Amino acid sequence: MKNALKLLRRMVLGLLGVMVLLPVVNILILMFTLWDVHGNGGPYSLAQETADALTKDGSGYHLRTDVQERLKEEGDWAVLLDPSGTVVWQTENLPAEVPKTYSLTAVAQLTRGYIADYPTFPAEDENGLLVLGCAKDSYWKHLYPAWDYQLISKAVPYAGIAILINVGVIILIYVLTDMKILRSVGPIMDGIQNLSMGKEVCLKKKGLLADIAGSVNRTSEILREKEYRLKKKETARANWIAGVSHDIRTPLSMVLGYAGQLTGSENLSEEEHRKAEVICRQGQRIKNLINDLNLASKLEYDMQPLHMERVNAVALIRQIVVDYMNTEPEDAYPICWMTEEDVGVCMIQADPGLLKRAVGNLIQNSVNHNPSGCTIYVTVEHMEDVCQIRVEDDGVGISREELKRLNETPHYMLCDENVTGQRHGLGLLIVRQIVDAHGGEVEVGQSGYGGFLAKIRIKIQKEEAGNAPS
Amino acid sequence: MDRDYLKEKRILLVDDEQELLDMVCSILKEEGYQNLCTASCMKEAMEKAAVFSPELAVLDVMLPDGSGFELFEKLKQMGDFPVLFLTACGEDEDKFRGLGLGADDYMVKPFLPRELILRIGAILRRSYKNEEPQVKLADSIVDFSRAEVRRGSQTIPLTAKEFALLSALYRNAGRIVTIDALCEAAWGDNPFGYENSLMAHIRRIREKIEAEPSHPKSLLTVKGLGYKLLVEGR
Repeated sequence: MKNALKLLRRMVLGLLGVMVLLPVVNILILMFTLWDVHGNGGPYSLAQETADALTKDGSGYHLRTDVQERLKEEGDWAVLLDPSGTVVWQTENLPAEVPKTYSLTAVAQLTRGYIADYPTFPAEDENGLLVLGCAKDSYWKHLYPAWDYQLISKAVPYAGIAILINVGVIILIYVLTDMKILRSVGPIMDGIQNLSMGKEVCLKKKGLLADIAGSVNRTSEILREKEYRLKKKETARANWIAGVSHDIRTPLSMVLGYAGQLTGSENLSEEEHRKAEVICRQGQRIKNLINDLNLASKLEYDMQPLHMERVNAVALIRQIVVDYMNTEPEDAYPICWMTEEDVGVCMIQADPGLLKRAVGNLIQNSVNHNPSGCTIYVTVEHMEDVCQIRVEDDGVGISREELKRLNETPHYMLCDENVTGQRHGLGLLIVRQIVDAHGGEVEVGQSGYGGFLAKIRIKIQKEEAGNAPS
Repeated sequence: MDRDYLKEKRILLVDDEQELLDMVCSILKEEGYQNLCTASCMKEAMEKAAVFSPELAVLDVMLPDGSGFELFEKLKQMGDFPVLFLTACGEDEDKFRGLGLGADDYMVKPFLPRELILRIGAILRRSYKNEEPQVKLADSIVDFSRAEVRRGSQTIPLTAKEFALLSALYRNAGRIVTIDALCEAAWGDNPFGYENSLMAHIRRIREKIEAEPSHPKSLLTVKGLGYKLLVEGR
């Protein structure tokens, strides 16, 4: 409705503009036209000019030639009356029906109106009264130009009031008409605005614009329907992945359990041990993949709830490293804690479970890509206002082309093209998704130790009061 | 005293999948646990628990005749023993619900046998530590029930902080415990900036439990990360 008011204001202002502009333009046009018509100031001034140009000497009256010419051109005639009302001088083209003597009444008449339908214009002359007669139907004269004095004396204020009332009435009618239109436009504008914000819209199909309201309603329905279907599809997909991964969990537990037991069995030959170890290792890969797949799809469709809290990144990462050391006692992948002693506290806002997954994935990544073993180095650095977690190894590393591909091509899970040729694990995708959810950034590259390097940077949260040790 | 008394604890395993029960049994038996009892539904679990009176229960969440959470609450009315959920329900909400009810641990399938063993061991040690008053270390014996250390003919009392630290280390015997976890055990929440105090306390504990504190055999340092307590017989 705010927009409707704005629109109404504009329209009224526009109308006022037109009302001011139109008279001004009209007056200008009128003036221009009149200027053209009465270039010489009208018949009265011509009469006076003629009178001035008429001179008397011993031989009679003489009219100056240029005035004579003009009168002839215009088809005008002139006579000079002496004080007794007799014509003492006349132009040659004086029509026959024009009388030669004038009574006072006739003089009064010719002053006000016409002589034999010729409009006449008197002018003062030193020898009497000069009368200029113009061609018939060339001028229209107002015969009784007298008004009530009261009326004339108040004409200006009266006219002002009348104009104001008229303007007021015009604006009122205009506003009322506009309001009616706007009242039906307003809800439609609001509706379209709501549509753009993704809200549901249901307009009343009434008034001038009922059809448009109907269209807006239909659009809203279509959008809603589409959104619902998309949501349903996404939920179905995420649920499907969750369901499959759930159903795989129990059977896989058994595979892992028995394979684990077999690797520790003393009754098996070396060859059989080796096979059991392969089953174990591959089983663990499936286990990681299931967990990752489920989390990746949930993160992708925003179905993973984040449980953010203030945590000490150093303690969190230290726990991950220790957990790794406690559960993976094999010597093939020793892990080194490279964090400086003086980096004791590095407070960030994070979901500890998810961040653990991200860093755990990076460690697992190093293990997966180096089947012949490597040393893993984990570092937490307190930089200016970011906490940087580095996970690197001295293994096979990554070539420049691979790095480029890793950084530039989207993961197949998020890709709408068929890219079966270049599938890589979910590990790094999840790390990216998790760090994105924390508003941080991930950088991968070549480590100074010779292998792969991944850096996670998350903004440090400013110190809260009351945490200082006693 | 031998530590194997923990291996004699009665453990109730509930899962609707018989093969999984067999496998967990086999893993636990291999580890030395002998008193095991299995059930594949809520009803059976209740009946068996009444006779068996378990000292630890490992429960699945999805059972044919109810949820593991319900079973948990019913079992808790029978006696106060620790419970570990072992389930395929990996959602955070399920995890929070289980732990919120008061479960001692929550493990999501698929699991590594070694992890299950470690967690069960930790729960049992934590829950029944008072039954095992004496822990044998390389050079001494720690008596948790009396908060003292016996080395040779000497008996040395432990301070409250030393006791808390040693308990935390013992609960995770053989595993590294982070500096942060130890500080939390001794000083509670927001344990920042206590690293130096921790080092001082560890030094004093070593003076009590080690024959040569500068060359520790039982309480080992893992540089930058934490400490590890080695217990005899493990």
